[in-house]
Amino acid sequence: MAEFDDTSLFQEDDHRVAYMFTAPPITTAATNASPTTTTKSAPGRPAKRRRVSEKDTAAPLPAQEKDDDEGRQWPRLFNGLESPSAADLRKKTYESTWPVLESEIESVLRDANRQTLEEVVEFLNSDVHECEGRGRVPAGFIITGPNIAGQDLLFSQLGDVLAERGEGRGRFVRLRAGEVGNLKGGLKRIVREGMGGQEGGGGEDGRMRGGGRRYLDYDLEALRVEMEGRGGGRVVVAFQDSEAFDTGLVGELVGLFHSWQDRIQFSVLFGIATSVELFQARLLKTTARQLYGAQFDVVQANAVLESVIMAAVAGTKAQLRIGPGLLRKLVRRQQEQVAGVGAFVSSLKYAYMNHFYANPLSALLVDGQKLDKEILQSEHLEAVRMLESFKSHVEQSVEDGRLDHARLLLENDDYLKGRINRQAAKRQQYLGKLLQSLALVIATEHSKRSFVELYEAALDEGISLDQSPGPFDLGDAIKRSTPEELIGLIKRVMTVIVDGNPSLHWNGMGIGQDAEAAIDKFEALRADVERLIETSKKKKTSLKSKYSSQSRVLRTTVVAQKVQLSRDTATLTEEDNAFTAAIDDFFAFFKTLVGCEPLSNLFLNEVWQYDYHLPYEDVFVPRPGATFARALSRPHDYLGCACCDKANGSMVGTLPATSILYHLYSEAGASINVADLWAAYYALVGEDSEIGMDERSALVLFYQGLAEMRAMGFVKQSKKKADHIAKLKWL
Amino acid sequence: MTVPIFELPDELRLSLITKQFPCREPQIRALATLLNPSSAPCRNLVVYGTEATGKSAIITALLASLDGDSFKHAIVNSIECITARHLYETVVGKVAAAVEWEAVAPRCESVSQLTVELSKMLRYTERPDGFRFVLVFDGIDHQREAPHTLLPALARLSEIIPSLTTLFILTSPPPNNLLTTFTPNLHFPTYTKPEFITILSLSPPPPITPSTTPTETLDLYTRFLSALHDSLSRPASRTLPSLAQASRTLWPKFIQPILARTHTVKEFSKLIVLARVHFQDESLLDPTLSLSPSPTTTTTTPNPTIKKTTDLATLLPTTARFLLLSAYLASHNPTKSDLTLFSTFHHGRKRRRGGFTGGRARKNGYQHRKIARKLLGAHAFVLERMLAIFMAVRTEWDPASGGRIKNGIVEGEQGLDNDIYMSIATLASLRLLVKVGGGGDVTDLGGKWRVAVGWEVVRGLGRSVGVELEEWLVE
Repeated sequence: MAEFDDTSLFQEDDHRVAYMFTAPPITTAATNASPTTTTKSAPGRPAKRRRVSEKDTAAPLPAQEKDDDEGRQWPRLFNGLESPSAADLRKKTYESTWPVLESEIESVLRDANRQTLEEVVEFLNSDVHECEGRGRVPAGFIITGPNIAGQDLLFSQLGDVLAERGEGRGRFVRLRAGEVGNLKGGLKRIVREGMGGQEGGGGEDGRMRGGGRRYLDYDLEALRVEMEGRGGGRVVVAFQDSEAFDTGLVGELVGLFHSWQDRIQFSVLFGIATSVELFQARLLKTTARQLYGAQFDVVQANAVLESVIMAAVAGTKAQLRIGPGLLRKLVRRQQEQVAGVGAFVSSLKYAYMNHFYANPLSALLVDGQKLDKEILQSEHLEAVRMLESFKSHVEQSVEDGRLDHARLLLENDDYLKGRINRQAAKRQQYLGKLLQSLALVIATEHSKRSFVELYEAALDEGISLDQSPGPFDLGDAIKRSTPEELIGLIKRVMTVIVDGNPSLHWNGMGIGQDAEAAIDKFEALRADVERLIETSKKKKTSLKSKYSSQSRVLRTTVVAQKVQLSRDTATLTEEDNAFTAAIDDFFAFFKTLVGCEPLSNLFLNEVWQYDYHLPYEDVFVPRPGATFARALSRPHDYLGCACCDKANGSMVGTLPATSILYHLYSEAGASINVADLWAAYYALVGEDSEIGMDERSALVLFYQGLAEMRAMGFVKQSKKKADHIAKLKWL
Repeated sequence: MTVPIFELPDELRLSLITKQFPCREPQIRALATLLNPSSAPCRNLVVYGTEATGKSAIITALLASLDGDSFKHAIVNSIECITARHLYETVVGKVAAAVEWEAVAPRCESVSQLTVELSKMLRYTERPDGFRFVLVFDGIDHQREAPHTLLPALARLSEIIPSLTTLFILTSPPPNNLLTTFTPNLHFPTYTKPEFITILSLSPPPPITPSTTPTETLDLYTRFLSALHDSLSRPASRTLPSLAQASRTLWPKFIQPILARTHTVKEFSKLIVLARVHFQDESLLDPTLSLSPSPTTTTTTPNPTIKKTTDLATLLPTTARFLLLSAYLASHNPTKSDLTLFSTFHHGRKRRRGGFTGGRARKNGYQHRKIARKLLGAHAFVLERMLAIFMAVRTEWDPASGGRIKNGIVEGEQGLDNDIYMSIATLASLRLLVKVGGGGDVTDLGGKWRVAVGWEVVRGLGRSVGVELEEWLVE
């Protein structure tokens, strides 16, 4: 409640294993309660338990929010020692980083839908159905996949596009199953939105006005008059989640549209999550006969996911790196559990929120210049010195013999601050190299893995072309390429160096010595290879390298009905040798361009890497069942009491009564005799046991425990036998 | 009075309509006589016949041709009227539009009010001599939310308003037809075979090849239609549109040999033999959502890396697939076989395929005849049972979900986490799983559910995750 001091509560109790909530004394609650409650309940009496209406709960909240909004700050970390400006900085950084990504993701999603939209609009505007499906209602079936949340975006985009193309003549009506319960409701919606959503048109008892007459608000005649006044045009009715609609309702609506088709041009669109066949199987045959349609596919969530990851996780716009472990978990959940990209996006957002809210070092993420030394306080430095990457860096320097450096890092605050300020630049450098390597690896088209796998591997183990077998094991594939392939490869690599990779927002190596040197080098190589091809063409030989498999041939000769095998090494011509050298040259240079360290090797990577999956799992994949089971079977895990330390999951008398009952319950069958249960319980805690409780208090606890079990839905009164209870929970 | 007492309707007009609607001459003449003010106008007229026999179309055309100063009409289609009140208001609106009445009543909520409004417009207003108004109720037997007095009340309208003729178009004649005051009935019978052929051959397809004359084509088409009617229409369908649809689909296949120049137009019997397979295919008559080829096939996709798949198996995430399979098992296996199928408690190995449930010899020789469970369709199951099956088969089907049991609590990926409930919700929203019986929360473990997909879909789904579902079904 409001009288609690929020910050103190967080500081003291938030990180404990278990928190026992002791109710505040009622007197303070009564005096400090908000005015709405005091007026309603008489003073000195506890507030009645009543259903709190929305108004009651909603009213005080905005005021409170307004109150806090002025000076609302994130809690200061370092046990409150963090300076307000640092906390502010974290908040601001979060507020500036996430929206960029969010809009980025949305544009990726919109892009993915674009082609489907074009097709649908083309279908709606075409006259194909005029001749073939005469008298039928044109229907577009858009296979959206089970990503129901994504349908919303698709259909709103569709509405925008149609409004744009239709020059205000056509109308687009979206129907959602939740909003349309019956035929009348659906028609009301169609008429209202078809008439341009004029609420004012409805007079008393909600009638629509049109052409000097008033119509019932579900009368399509009103729509016809309106459309006629506008000079015709098409009414597109979209059933957004067709599966959820009552089939009878869809049939009736389609029947109506069909009947009106000679006066109002209706088209229908169905958003289908499963398949047209399944959908059709549920429709009436008469309805099916009235439709004439085409099928459109939407890019599926799995395909979109990769583009989203490229743009929002791997791309340069992402300030925070999602660590390989968490990313793997997210992707895996996406593939196995979740339909739709929405869950991934919210998980990503949660990671950002967590990082900036709870990690004081996230303040260091701002650019080096902005991070003035005022913000850095001694606690920051202390925290930095606790970091895993700091420790390994110092150890590494000691091993390398740079003792001064290590000592300064440990002892001199200013030196450390300098280092911290330089890490932003280093991070940029690392990211540039990482993305360059990935873009080049993709450009070779030799890697069989998806981008997400490559990216994970790169963060996890770094990129090294030598490692074999490994995710970046491209050496063999590159070396085996034919001259033509090599030229294609060089061209692709050069394009990437110059133009970068737009989906990663990586702009290539830019203009600089490195880039120019690389381009020159590749140009020279290409010229060489082209020249070699020319020469070998003149000589009418095929150009090959010593790596191509044709160089060593296993020859079979049949001599006197015996098969002779002979290994034949094809002799390499001068050009072949030159080509081999060119390939070697190319690969050697390619290797200098591709390669990076694992993310965790970097100094201060904890500042800009987030790789904790526990908070994520707790929030997005909670397991209430398992939590209950654990709390009941091993309550000491949560209570931290000394008495049950040795229990370790077994049944001892010191456990709370409910927990003992739970243990007994899990051993029992489908119906439990309460007398037996009591006997077992009493044997454990009764006068003959170590606890030595008297029968009366044991019985009270027993009853309490049983009531709690019932409240949690574990047992209920059995109908079959009077003195038994039935077991309800099995899983 | 210059108007003769009885005068047959104008031949010229009739002949136009007869030409437009062939094979319906008797009906058209009868209608014209019964509606024409100078012939034998009646008060109520019931026109009945099955669908696609030309009732509405002929009446519309005939009334339009009769329209004049002293003859007006209005047609109300009951399909378009959502409620009885909607019907009344539509009637008032249409009648007002037909007689160009200005002050239309703002509302009309009951039959009595309808009577008042119609009387105002038709009875108490000065009209030319011999004025007749025909009010047509099309498909009135399919009116939604109709009070049971609707038809009798509408039939009384013409008693109150003498110049009104009410025409009802029904599918079948009213059951107590002969018990009431006489109302003329007009039956539109279904077309016979020669009529079908006459009608359809009025619009013959274009000549097959440039060398064939239209007469040859028409000749072949007529014989083709006759064969088509015998093979498809007589046993399976009797409506004109479905036959027309079938002929539209079949004709290109039928003339394929002619286009390929292996046969000539004259060899009808050989063509029939070649196309025999198609003539036996009754699925032609099955109305489908005829899909025009999607534009994707013609235009090249600009981004070939993004693969588009619409197979259900690829659309669903893995867990949802497993859940759907488990739901199918729960729906189709009897509860008593669960222990045999899924329990690993006593025997180390699983025993599948029922074990002792099948193949028991009956002692008394009495064969207990039960309908096979498979034929009864999907049964309802308790959600908890489905989840239990899911948990039991999950490790076997998907070894990757390596959960381990520690301290009696399943840890790792295996526990019943919220993602599973989310998958169930996804399946339910896609109507692949259906909750049986109202009430109760969706997450209630005791709730009853039923699987709503068929064997074919589930088998494909099972194969997509490497599970042969047959092995897990008892029957």
